[in-house]
Amino acid sequence: MSNLAEQIREALAMFARNGTEPALIGGLAVVAHQVVRATKDVDFLVEAEAADKVHNALLDLGYQCLYRSEDAANYVRAAEGLDLLYAHRPLARRLLAQALERATPMGRMRIISVEGLIGFKLQGFVNDPTRTRDLDDIRALLKIHRSSLDMDELREYFALFKRPELLNELIE
Amino acid sequence: MNLSNSPDTNAAIVQNRADESSVLAREAGVPFQPSFNSASGIDPIVEWLSLMEVVQMLCPVWPVRDKPMQGSHWRL
Repeated sequence: MSNLAEQIREALAMFARNGTEPALIGGLAVVAHQVVRATKDVDFLVEAEAADKVHNALLDLGYQCLYRSEDAANYVRAAEGLDLLYAHRPLARRLLAQALERATPMGRMRIISVEGLIGFKLQGFVNDPTRTRDLDDIRALLKIHRSSLDMDELREYFALFKRPELLNELIE
Repeated sequence: MNLSNSPDTNAAIVQNRADESSVLAREAGVPFQPSFNSASGIDPIVEWLSLMEVVQMLCPVWPVRDKPMQGSHWRL
């Protein structure tokens, strides 16, 4: 198993020991939703109430905390990174609760829905417009899953970030 | 000598361009999306692990985040 797969397996075991069930988000969730591209982004959506114990557990595993707020945290360990988003608003809590579990080579893990993933990708792009990779990911996800997506849910996310027109642009 | 005046050579060039086009369409350079649906039996995460094995061989040192997430638009 590669170092990357081992890092994810270790993180999943840590979450399980701490009694929390995160959902995979970010680039690896994009992969899980059939857009296979090179990425080492290990990102999880975690219930906000678990932030402290997960923080301490990551420090115990040798990670260094680069940044932590009520919304997100970034950890690094040598060449490995791990990012967390905290679910404390109703939308994120709903997305976390609805994430479906899937068997993977690294173990069973819950994965955010395509619609939720697009919402988080949009949030990432709005927060940092230089992250055009997020737009590429959204475009690819829309292309692959267009026929099965809940478009009302997607419109809700794009309206939330005051970018309703962007959805139409990305679909074209 | 101008090879492009030869009908045989021109035909070969056209054929080669057609071959290049089909290879590019299949392998690289243009949008290509293999089927990862349940019917295909291909797991995208397994494919990603295979891809990353190669990527890490070619690029052993992958840049890690050196600055925190930024922005103030946390609405989800």
